[in-house]
Amino acid sequence: MLSLTDRAWSPYLTGTIIGLLQIPAFLLLGTALGTSSSYVTVGDSLASFVDPGIRSIDYAAKHLTGAKNWWQVAVVVGIALGAFLSSRLSGTARSGIAPIWRDVRGAGTRTGRFVMAFGAGFIMLLGARIADGCTSGHGISGIAQLALGSFIAVGAMFAGGIATALLTRRS
Amino acid sequence: MSVFTAVLIGLAMGAVFGLALEKSRVFEPGIIVGQMRLRNFVMLKIFLTAVTTGLVVLAVLHGFGIVKLGPKAVLMGADLIGGALLGVGIAMAGACPGTVAAQIGAGYADARLTLVGGLLGAVAFTYLEPMLNPILLSGGPGKLTLASVTGVPFWMLALGFAVVLIAGLVALERWRPWRTEIGANGDGVIAPPAGQVGPTGAATASSI
Repeated sequence: MLSLTDRAWSPYLTGTIIGLLQIPAFLLLGTALGTSSSYVTVGDSLASFVDPGIRSIDYAAKHLTGAKNWWQVAVVVGIALGAFLSSRLSGTARSGIAPIWRDVRGAGTRTGRFVMAFGAGFIMLLGARIADGCTSGHGISGIAQLALGSFIAVGAMFAGGIATALLTRRS
Repeated sequence: MSVFTAVLIGLAMGAVFGLALEKSRVFEPGIIVGQMRLRNFVMLKIFLTAVTTGLVVLAVLHGFGIVKLGPKAVLMGADLIGGALLGVGIAMAGACPGTVAAQIGAGYADARLTLVGGLLGAVAFTYLEPMLNPILLSGGPGKLTLASVTGVPFWMLALGFAVVLIAGLVALERWRPWRTEIGANGDGVIAPPAGQVGPTGAATASSI
């Protein structure tokens, strides 16, 4: 039987749950599931304390206010809460860094991994905003809408990811 | 809808999303890096299952005229360059913009740095956007979809594509059963078979 205390559920069940989230997204918010534009909403909100002038950039202005933008921020916060609860219920809470990083060039030490993680986050969001979507917005939602731009972006994403993972592999 | 209501809905949807990401183990850096090394296919399974479900959901909702679709515009340069950078970042982060939050929730320390880097990346893009817009982010042929270019109704294509993906997933699961792929500790690290050591062993575990 399926239980919240299970360590793992089938990818086909969890993938279906994620796909079904399109129903409330489209019906209640009139938008598709996505996560990466929330980084603009939060990042630009924080940046506006240092540089109030950022509000005059159209792109920032479009992301700073409104139900859809803050809905997406809440989704990302909710992801952290859901994963927190799930990991505590099943006894799979994590700490430190994952064992895989010992097998990745430059990520073997804690400091090395932290520097890499920071740079990775920067590149990831810069790329996601240039492409106007990430694994959720272009991947899960864009492909489900048969958007041609999303097929291109997801193809490029896997190409970039595979090349990087193979080049940084230690063993 | 008020921002307050939207935030409550978002938190509830996010909690379900986060639960699914954690239970599926796809938030694990070992699973995501393993996917990019073409050694572990759990990420692809979840991704394609979510796409398949979305195709069926939208075939129904759009087919009966209940919702409007919102496909993103085709911008070849931006899709290629942005998509490739996104992929480089995902392989180095061992996370996507959404799974970073799941990693923080589950407790991985480095994910907090990925989040900070991501917020700065988004701010950097905001400042660059006015400059990039005329070169990369405008023009293009518009919001093209498979349905708009072929003239076939969306619901037919969506259901047809869903069937193809299901067939692919069945084959993928026969080739690589998910229970084996998530590894004993649920982090995508698969112990090499007894007696087998070295770089040709089961990838991630060999150096640990």
